[in-house]
Amino acid sequence: MTRVIDLVDLSFLHSGAELPALNDVSLVVEAGEAVVLLGPSGAGKTTLLALLDGRLQGWTGCVSVLGRGLAPDAPPPVAARPDTGFIFQEFALVERSSVLRNVLNGRLGRMSSVAAFFGRHSEHDLDAAHQALADCGIGELAHRRVDSLSGGQRQRVAIARCLAQEPRLILADEPVSNLDPARADEILALITNAAAKRGATTVFSSHQPELALRFASRAVGMAGGSVVLDRVVSAMSDAEIGALYHDVVEGAVALRLVQ
Amino acid sequence: MIRRGGSGGFLTGVCLGAVVLWSFATSDMELSRLLSAGPRIGEFLGRMIPPDLTVMSEIVDGTAETLRIAILGTLGAVILSVPLGLAASETMVPPVIYRSVRTLLALIRAIPLLLVAMLMVGAVGLGPMPGVIAVAFHATGMLGKFYAEAIDGVARPPVEALQSAGAGPLVRLRHAIWPQMAPVIARDTIFRFELNLRESLILGIVGAGGIGFYIQTYVRSFQYDKAASVTIAVILLVIAIEVLNVALRKRFS
Repeated sequence: MTRVIDLVDLSFLHSGAELPALNDVSLVVEAGEAVVLLGPSGAGKTTLLALLDGRLQGWTGCVSVLGRGLAPDAPPPVAARPDTGFIFQEFALVERSSVLRNVLNGRLGRMSSVAAFFGRHSEHDLDAAHQALADCGIGELAHRRVDSLSGGQRQRVAIARCLAQEPRLILADEPVSNLDPARADEILALITNAAAKRGATTVFSSHQPELALRFASRAVGMAGGSVVLDRVVSAMSDAEIGALYHDVVEGAVALRLVQ
Repeated sequence: MIRRGGSGGFLTGVCLGAVVLWSFATSDMELSRLLSAGPRIGEFLGRMIPPDLTVMSEIVDGTAETLRIAILGTLGAVILSVPLGLAASETMVPPVIYRSVRTLLALIRAIPLLLVAMLMVGAVGLGPMPGVIAVAFHATGMLGKFYAEAIDGVARPPVEALQSAGAGPLVRLRHAIWPQMAPVIARDTIFRFELNLRESLILGIVGAGGIGFYIQTYVRSFQYDKAASVTIAVILLVIAIEVLNVALRKRFS
């Protein structure tokens, strides 16, 4: 199996912060996995995801994403970015544009600069956008303006934009943090099924283990910027899963108190 | 915050009183002159009624010229404000540039339109052309600042999302920044056009074209009935442009 993510001794300190957001993180993710990053707020999950997306510089260690090494002092080359898709927690949509326009925005990185500037999309771009909208169950909203949608519909647009990008690695920051359990199930099923259908690897963060473990193949627990747990979900007993909330969330609190 | 009492409040009161007294004492303010003005104002009004509508063709010509000055002046201001707005934006250029450009825009705003118009009449001669140049120059001070604020008011997350998807700077400008900015810029430009039209009405007084020329001519030659017709036309024009402006602004909300 090929390594989609390969981290060795990765550390990162936000400017002005006293404690590192990431502390000697080493982690390997293989192609096709669905990894959940578990841990309380402040564990370093969001920082790690943004860093894997190439949006943070100034870290130390070795980072390789989809076989390409990231540079600690420069953003990744533009050509490499479409292969990593990101589902933003706050959706990051252009509110005044249509749903279809927002989803097509996911295609811009794969077009020539001139075609992208003038929005001249190919048949394949349109197919990918409409397929993504259909997979997210919002095909009928294509021509609505985003600022007329509900929060749940906006999230589906954000997911559709990421899918239309045809990434090989999908990163999602707390995709279900504000949802009730039924909606959270739908969204996690949507993301993991769409990723599996496209052969993409998924890494998402959550602070709700009992929910996330039903959709992840592997659980990575983080606390205080370090990896404190790394288990294949199918190899975990019910008791272990039950104890995970205690181990990850409360254990992290204890660990932070020690620090 | 309101501070009550204290020597600071007392001192402020004394200063304000002194300023008002000084203004009164040195401005030739006499009650007798105000009282004797009544009959004269009545006489003006009497001579304005009925308005002389034979000047309709002058009114139409003057109004059309004022409109042309406002349209071309606004166009000139837009052309100047796009680069200046970019250069005055906190999010596009380093502080040393945006601070200097903002200072320049503030200086431009500080120069009264009529002063610019008089200078331009001296430079290029009488007619609408100095009016157009003066309006374009004067309006740039405000429009450049508004455009910079429109650029800085753009939400960053969608821009970062496009960058994350691999879109270059120009593509991000086109698909993430422009859709957020365009309605704000349209609204600001319409608003500035309304101001330009109002301010162009008096440009004719200094010989810079438009309907103001006729107001000045008829008042100075004591043809108050004709001046009244022009005044009514100006009022109707201002109301019309305000109605249009309100309708257009709704469209861009």
